[in-house]
Amino acid sequence: MIVYLLKRLILAIPTLLIASFLIFSLVHIAPGDPIRVMLGQYQDPELIARLREAMGLDLPFHVQYLRWLGKVLQGDLGLSITVKRGASVAGLIAQRFSVTVELATFSLIIALLIAIPTGVISALRQNRLSDHISRIIALAGVSIPNFFLGILLILFVGVYLRQPWGAGGYVPFSRGLGRNLAHMFLPAVALGTAYAAIIMRMMRSAMLDAMSQDFVRTARAMGIAPGDIVRRDIVKNALIPVVTVIGNSIGYLLGGSIVTETVFRLPGVGNLVIMGVFRRDFPVIQAVVLIIVVVRIIINLVVDLTYGFLDPRIRYGGER
Amino acid sequence: MAWEIQSGEYELGAHRTLLQEFWRNFRRNKLSLIGGFIVLFYAFLAIFAPLLAPYDPIEQYDAPRGMRNPMPPLSRDVDGRLFLLGTDKFGRDILSRAIYGTRTLLQVAVGSISIAMLLGVTMGAIAGYRAGTWVDELLMRAVDIMLSFPSLVLAIALVGAFGIGKIQIGPFTLSNIVKIMLVIAITYSPRFARVMRAVVLQEMGKDYVAAAKISGASSARILLAEIFPNTIPPIIVQASLMMATTVLTTSSLSFLGLGLQPPRPSLGLMLNEARDYLFWGAWWYVMVPGGLITLAILGFNLLGDGLRDALDPRQARRRG
Amino acid sequence: MRELLRVEGLVTRFYTDEGVVKAVDGSWFALEADEALGVVGESGSGKTVTALSIMRLIENPGRIESGRILFRGEDLLEKPEREMRRIRGKEISMVFQDSLSSLNPTLTIGAQIARVLKYHTRLTRRARWQRAVKLLEAVGIPEPAKRVSHYPHQLSGGMRQRALIAMAISCNPKLLILDEPTTALDVTIEAQIFGLIGELKDEFRMGVFLITHDLSVVASFCQQVIIMYAGKIVEEADVQELYGNPLHPYTLGLLRSIPPLEEEAERLESIPGEVPDLINLPPGCNFSPRCALTDERCWHEEPELAEVSPGHRVACHRVAVPVGVGEIHG
Repeated sequence: MIVYLLKRLILAIPTLLIASFLIFSLVHIAPGDPIRVMLGQYQDPELIARLREAMGLDLPFHVQYLRWLGKVLQGDLGLSITVKRGASVAGLIAQRFSVTVELATFSLIIALLIAIPTGVISALRQNRLSDHISRIIALAGVSIPNFFLGILLILFVGVYLRQPWGAGGYVPFSRGLGRNLAHMFLPAVALGTAYAAIIMRMMRSAMLDAMSQDFVRTARAMGIAPGDIVRRDIVKNALIPVVTVIGNSIGYLLGGSIVTETVFRLPGVGNLVIMGVFRRDFPVIQAVVLIIVVVRIIINLVVDLTYGFLDPRIRYGGER
Repeated sequence: MAWEIQSGEYELGAHRTLLQEFWRNFRRNKLSLIGGFIVLFYAFLAIFAPLLAPYDPIEQYDAPRGMRNPMPPLSRDVDGRLFLLGTDKFGRDILSRAIYGTRTLLQVAVGSISIAMLLGVTMGAIAGYRAGTWVDELLMRAVDIMLSFPSLVLAIALVGAFGIGKIQIGPFTLSNIVKIMLVIAITYSPRFARVMRAVVLQEMGKDYVAAAKISGASSARILLAEIFPNTIPPIIVQASLMMATTVLTTSSLSFLGLGLQPPRPSLGLMLNEARDYLFWGAWWYVMVPGGLITLAILGFNLLGDGLRDALDPRQARRRG
Repeated sequence: MRELLRVEGLVTRFYTDEGVVKAVDGSWFALEADEALGVVGESGSGKTVTALSIMRLIENPGRIESGRILFRGEDLLEKPEREMRRIRGKEISMVFQDSLSSLNPTLTIGAQIARVLKYHTRLTRRARWQRAVKLLEAVGIPEPAKRVSHYPHQLSGGMRQRALIAMAISCNPKLLILDEPTTALDVTIEAQIFGLIGELKDEFRMGVFLITHDLSVVASFCQQVIIMYAGKIVEEADVQELYGNPLHPYTLGLLRSIPPLEEEAERLESIPGEVPDLINLPPGCNFSPRCALTDERCWHEEPELAEVSPGHRVACHRVAVPVGVGEIHG
């Protein structure tokens, strides 16, 4: 198990390094001098020279990258240029990180709580009415864009039902956990719906797959009770591929949170990166993208570990 | 079950072509037929947009005395023009904008999928044909790393690097719409590369490739004449499944304001503008573009699922 | 000797999209306690479906259409599912062919055996685990105390098959069904496993229903043989009679396809053609398209299973039935 864990960790390092290199290079894909691009109409020669030196743009490319990486590893993500001039990017992200994490976690929880049981029931009642209904809802769930769903939720809950928590906006923890969660509820639903639909479909087909396995027939031939077979033979084995999908699709939650934050006007990291793109604030864009990719890779590691926990074939890989 | 059902050919004594077999499987699934009709409907809208749209999508019309734009469906302007689906905040006809917006959305989606396919298929074919060499290793590493970015985040980062609106690269000007196609194509090409590599690898193991090699055909010839035709079905399935995702990403970018720019009609952008009028109860402003995006994604999802199942009926029975 | 199992007129069909598969089409046979019955045929001949029908494990789209399955005098087809669950694993048990896919990969061997004991005995959790270790020892697994907490993929194929047998015999069943239990194993291990099953059979006076396509295994292990073809029994006899006096052309073909031990299989004769489509069976005798001895009657009239000598039944028009003997069988 420990060998397995270490192997996964070591494999993640080159991916992270190359990803960080790509993210750093973003500035240089942009046509023209990045400083001039960033400053737009605000072309003060003295400022240009100062920024140039501060960012080390005169140095060879690889030296620039290594300097940047060194700073990043120490937690220094550079200074914002246009979003909030001179502010530390790490500081800007720190203020907003909890909002995004709360949103993503909340929607993950809602999605799993809905998707797993629905998938199980749907598979057990294959081709019955409840199966058809949940599959149609899942199909609609995969197809509706989260920003449209979010707007619809605001329209119905905030406008028609006149609920203050349904109108968007953010309430910090300091003003009460209940109000905070209430305001997060609709965004989490908007973000989690498509994710839930994907997982529900996967759970259903993994269940059907497991149900047709030989060991299920063995268990039936041994007179095991149906409920026990569902729990220990079918669901336990069906969860293995589903966990992979949960992990692989987590990128959707991270990308989708950017959109959802815009819909509900939540001051999260996604909202920051959009501002960064509009104002061409490269240090901000780089930092946020880097953090999202790092989080994604860490989550994938956690998922791999869960996988090892669920599947003894991975846990005790080599031995026979 | 140790039970083998004999092939259908025995009973019919006729040899159905692959295409007929495919169509038989496809037609059996009603949902995929519905998907096909939805996609045809969108193709019709996109191709005949100038004939179908009642007004110029950019022309602004004045609301009559006592009314303000956006006006609800079936309203008339000062000169008595009828707006079936109402007007937007500038007094433009929502129906016409929606029709033209659909056209642009499909243009971008089809364009970017084509470019992504071209890039990905080339990468995947080379990697698959040179499997095990450093070329393969390099290409597949690149693919892995690109896939470690959540796709929307990668697209946003690329827009951040290129800038919003049209861009200037040396003497060339890239229009905004082409730039968006490129951004999305880069984001999704790795998925095609993966599929292509897997299929090429699979085909390489078959006897006819070995036969071609022995008879002394050149690598390029084998790849183009022998292997390539067999990779078309899985690539088409991948493309139709990716269409749904691409429509979502394109409209997400537009919704965030990072995609198509005003005054060009765009469904995502319409939704973004509509947000400001939610509390006026301007439901038509939301429902028309949102509904069109959702239906398009639904159609491509159904069609893609249907194509995949028709090519692989054994799996399809599992998925039910 | 007393009768353990009697199957009368069993018909099992599968209603697929392509049509109705007549998997088992009217089977009659009986099995005595502590007797081993070999059921031989190509894949698709209805051997496994017969076994699954006895256990009432036929799933959608399959259905047992008619017949009676008398186990110790009681018709299993009349029993409610709850009662069937008490019989499965306790009275009638089954060992499946692929030991890797037939064991749950996420549970240890011990947990899977203990689980069977939980449903059929009143043993405590601790006692169940100890019994699992004992059972593994009984089927000849070395270091049973260690192996009991291993997962299926950690054992070799032979070990897994033994573990599967240990699970099947954990509650001393009266009838043990074996579905090609040694196909994936090499000859030495195959011999060991049949040695083991033989011992267990004698010790617990178990009836054994052995499905195989290997006639040499049957010769050394079984007392009685049934040959199945396309869902029907085509010949039945005791082992000496069947090998000494095979009558059905299909049986002859099967016997000829066994490689002789002395010379290497250089002139291995196989039966030309393949198993017919069970959805569209040929008119007349199912075997006629592949038979070298057909005459007009074979193509139109289905042969009945008739007794040619005491205990030897065959379904073929071309076999001369002694006058008077054939009418005894109802």
